[in-house]
Amino acid sequence: MNVEPLIKLENVWKIYQLGKVELTVLRGINLEIHPGAFVTIMGPSGSGKSTLMHIVGCLDVPTKGKVFLEKQNIMELSEDDLAQIRGQRIGFVFQQFNLLQSLNALENVMLPMVFQGVPENKRIKRAKELLTSLDLGKRIYHRPSELSGGERQRVAIARALSNNPEIIVADEPTGNLDSTTGKMIMEVFIDLHKKEKKTIIVVTHDPHIAEYTEEVINIMDGQIVSNHLAKEKVLWEKQ
Amino acid sequence: MIGVVIGVFLIMSLLSLSEGVKTAVLSQLNMMGNDLIIIMPGELTDMMTTFAGGLELTDDDIKAIEKAEGVEAVIPMTYKGIVMRYQGEKKTVLLSGIPLEKGLDILRTDMGFELVEGRWPIPGKREIFVGFLVPKEIFPGMEVGTQIALKGKQFEVVGVLKSVGSKQDDSQVYIDLAVYREITGEREGAKMAMAKVKPGYSADVVVENIKESLEENRKRRKGEDLPPYTVLSSEKMSDIVGNIMGLIQVAIFGFASIAILVGAIGIMNTMYTSVHDRIKEIGIMKAVGAKRKTIIAIFLIESGIFGLAGGLGGIILGLGLAKIIEIYAQSQYFFLLKASITPQLILFGLAFSFLIGCIAGYLPARGASKLNPVDALRYE
Repeated sequence: MNVEPLIKLENVWKIYQLGKVELTVLRGINLEIHPGAFVTIMGPSGSGKSTLMHIVGCLDVPTKGKVFLEKQNIMELSEDDLAQIRGQRIGFVFQQFNLLQSLNALENVMLPMVFQGVPENKRIKRAKELLTSLDLGKRIYHRPSELSGGERQRVAIARALSNNPEIIVADEPTGNLDSTTGKMIMEVFIDLHKKEKKTIIVVTHDPHIAEYTEEVINIMDGQIVSNHLAKEKVLWEKQ
Repeated sequence: MIGVVIGVFLIMSLLSLSEGVKTAVLSQLNMMGNDLIIIMPGELTDMMTTFAGGLELTDDDIKAIEKAEGVEAVIPMTYKGIVMRYQGEKKTVLLSGIPLEKGLDILRTDMGFELVEGRWPIPGKREIFVGFLVPKEIFPGMEVGTQIALKGKQFEVVGVLKSVGSKQDDSQVYIDLAVYREITGEREGAKMAMAKVKPGYSADVVVENIKESLEENRKRRKGEDLPPYTVLSSEKMSDIVGNIMGLIQVAIFGFASIAILVGAIGIMNTMYTSVHDRIKEIGIMKAVGAKRKTIIAIFLIESGIFGLAGGLGGIILGLGLAKIIEIYAQSQYFFLLKASITPQLILFGLAFSFLIGCIAGYLPARGASKLNPVDALRYE
């Protein structure tokens, strides 16, 4: 693969200062993620995988090291530039769904478009299309509290897709769902990967989830211990 | 927020009334020539108690004023609210007694009294003349030559005055002082008096002369509990009124500022709580692309709306109070003033309170915008 990597981490360190104690979460991570890849970052809790995901998603910056998005070193960007990148090029899906409780599904999906200044009629059209494509056409005016876990996560996915980003970053997206619903959500990601050629990065500690993806990065104690393509491509095929 | 309500309430009632009071008082004073001196019972510092408390000048006092050097003529003036009947309709009007024989010339030359219709009454006869607004607003259609009744006695309306620019004067009914005494039963005294300065005398000197003369008169009547007097040239009077109005305004603005400060601190606390309650939401918004200024704008608008709500309450209360005072003042007929309630004033009040809200919310909003998205997302 000689394609220029989409995301590249060079010797990335993240150290938290907790009072007088230093907590090193990431120790010299080197990583390349190519456009259109479907990657799992795996590791036990406390291994630093969430921190790594935050850095890959431009939500956080490392203490040391370089992070490139295409050729742009994000360390050189301002907070607002990073917000702009997150809004336009990256979509987040969280374990806790992180929907705004006071907004209905449609408004939640429109939110990132509001921040990008998309005109209202276009926002509504796009959000309705996304929700319909995720089988939520009848749920658009429901608030998160009126939706099931699987439905909430699909609203969150629709929100992540609203500005049509190249990269989807998902942090334990199935962590709060039962296995059937989790499977359904993973199916959505596979679809996005195959049909829309999105670059998808999933953080998980669940080896079953990792089986869906092409590439698995194992992380432990802040270091990458193995980085390999899945031995067998057992991508879950839609029946 | 109650602080903002009170602050805006004070400011709005102040702004809407003070202009009215100022123009009402000053326009009347400006009508007078410079060689008029006003003599009122009571201290000027208690002007309101003088107006409302019913202190009077005695006939002795008026004689004393007449004796003072440099005084050409004295016009005792007195007035009373009285029921007037015109074609079966009864209304309370302010009846003003003026000594027509000696006072009419001064009224015409120095106070700008002029007729638009009819003639001046003949002193001693049962004739009245009315202010410009009487046939317009109080008894619509009243004409010169018609009859009215005061205390059961018939009088003829013989003249209508040209507007003198103040609603109070334009709504009065004027009558010869002698006839006034006859029908009201007030045998002597006057609410106030005006003295005309002889040509060649300075008004300020004559003011001193009148004061001296009144003091002497009082010494002769030792033992009686007599109120002090206020003697002012018309020029001085407008200065003083202007000063008092200015002082009242400063004081009310002071109170209003404190109230608004308290309100602003209240809004600030509310906003800190609001930011704290929504740390996670802020994290989410940042994660999906909200910039710092977007977060600031969201919270500023929220605090601005708090301010606006407070301001709206203040505007309603303030303008309501102004209107009540206006109605009360008009029904009492001693102080006809108009509360000026303009759209600009309301708009100013709304914009002002919104701004106060925004200023109060700025620090919490800035704090919210500075939150680290990762920490904010983790916050439960």
